[in-house]
Amino acid sequence: MATEARDRIAARDRVEARRRQVDAPSTLRDDSDDEMIVSFPEFVFKEFIAMVAMTVFLVLVSIFLQAPLLGQANPGVTPNPSKAPWYFLGLQELLSRFPPLMAGVAFPTFVIVLMILVPFLDRNPSRRPSERKVAIILFALYMAIVVALVIIGTFFRGHEFIWNWSWVLGNPQTCGGKSC
Amino acid sequence: MKVIRGAVDEMWSVMEQMVGSIFRHGLPLTDKIAARTALTNFVLHIHPVRVRRSWIRMSYTLCLGGLSFFLFIVLTVTGLYLMFYYVPSINHAYQDMRDLQFVVTFGGLIRNMHRWAAHAMVITVWLHMARVFLTGSYKKPREFNWGVGTLLLLITLLLSFTGYLLPWDQLSIWAVTVGTNMAKYAPIAGPYTRYLMLGGHAVGDATLLRFYVMHVVGLPLIGFLLMVVHFWRVRKDGFSGGL
Repeated sequence: MATEARDRIAARDRVEARRRQVDAPSTLRDDSDDEMIVSFPEFVFKEFIAMVAMTVFLVLVSIFLQAPLLGQANPGVTPNPSKAPWYFLGLQELLSRFPPLMAGVAFPTFVIVLMILVPFLDRNPSRRPSERKVAIILFALYMAIVVALVIIGTFFRGHEFIWNWSWVLGNPQTCGGKSC
Repeated sequence: MKVIRGAVDEMWSVMEQMVGSIFRHGLPLTDKIAARTALTNFVLHIHPVRVRRSWIRMSYTLCLGGLSFFLFIVLTVTGLYLMFYYVPSINHAYQDMRDLQFVVTFGGLIRNMHRWAAHAMVITVWLHMARVFLTGSYKKPREFNWGVGTLLLLITLLLSFTGYLLPWDQLSIWAVTVGTNMAKYAPIAGPYTRYLMLGGHAVGDATLLRFYVMHVVGLPLIGFLLMVVHFWRVRKDGFSGGL
């Protein structure tokens, strides 16, 4: 009987202590990374700053950098080289090296399925970088290959999609012998 | 005098009621008021009311997911403006682009913003994926949300790709020809898939309309629904937080 009463008092004290913690004035906060804070306005303010920075960046870039607009589309005249948008240039680069069924279909499908399955294939429960070296190295390798292929496709593929050491920009060089 | 004073007082209280009916809790001067605001405000409800400081450290999230979503909104707004002036037909599309660039007020600026924001979104979504991978945030219980995120990355690429055709210049028609030619190589379904995408055997009027419809309605709608699920799961599964 006495134990039960003591338990009840202890439980009430715990609730009281927790409530006091929540009501604690800001001067008593620990200010550490572990501290619980109200997401509004601090978190919301951070997001707001990021949005403003992005908007300013976009407006400035858009004032000084014109989006490309070549001559009107002409199905009869093929630009040389013909390139996909830059984020698909890695695929186009693969397509120029491997059989189309492999590079254009099997490979991208495999990568997408593999990516969705990553959380189930990675059996390591740790999230610390030092404890998941294999995963991080494999991912870095994957990213490096993607970035390298995109850079090669964008800058080192010129006329006829042939290797060109000078930095070729993404826009087609010629359309039927003339500029596009 | 008394009548005027009474009227002013009455008007003031009506004003207060109007503002109070929208913003119920006033300025967030204490944590209690701030928490109540976060709890009852529609715009703020995608955030948890309380977060650990380590969860929202900018050096951890780099704000990449939020920026991707913000760019999606920028693209929606600038895209609406472009839609006022653009007709998706091979007889009009290119001339409309020229008009946007040289005639329409702010047309060039808005078009540039739409273009660069699209490139930026491809980059931020990629980097967001990289961040989530490197922090191991896809691990239990967030496996499903990683899958949703992968689909969102695909939607971003497809949105960008469908938009690439719309200016109807030499760059767009041949980029899309190269891109859709890849689909041709899939066994059995390949040629049909390509025909479905192009609405014919070559990039033409039907292709332009198909890409336009997918670009302005189909893909944004799918993307929006996936985003709703994505954000909801972030709330339900919790922020991954520090390492």
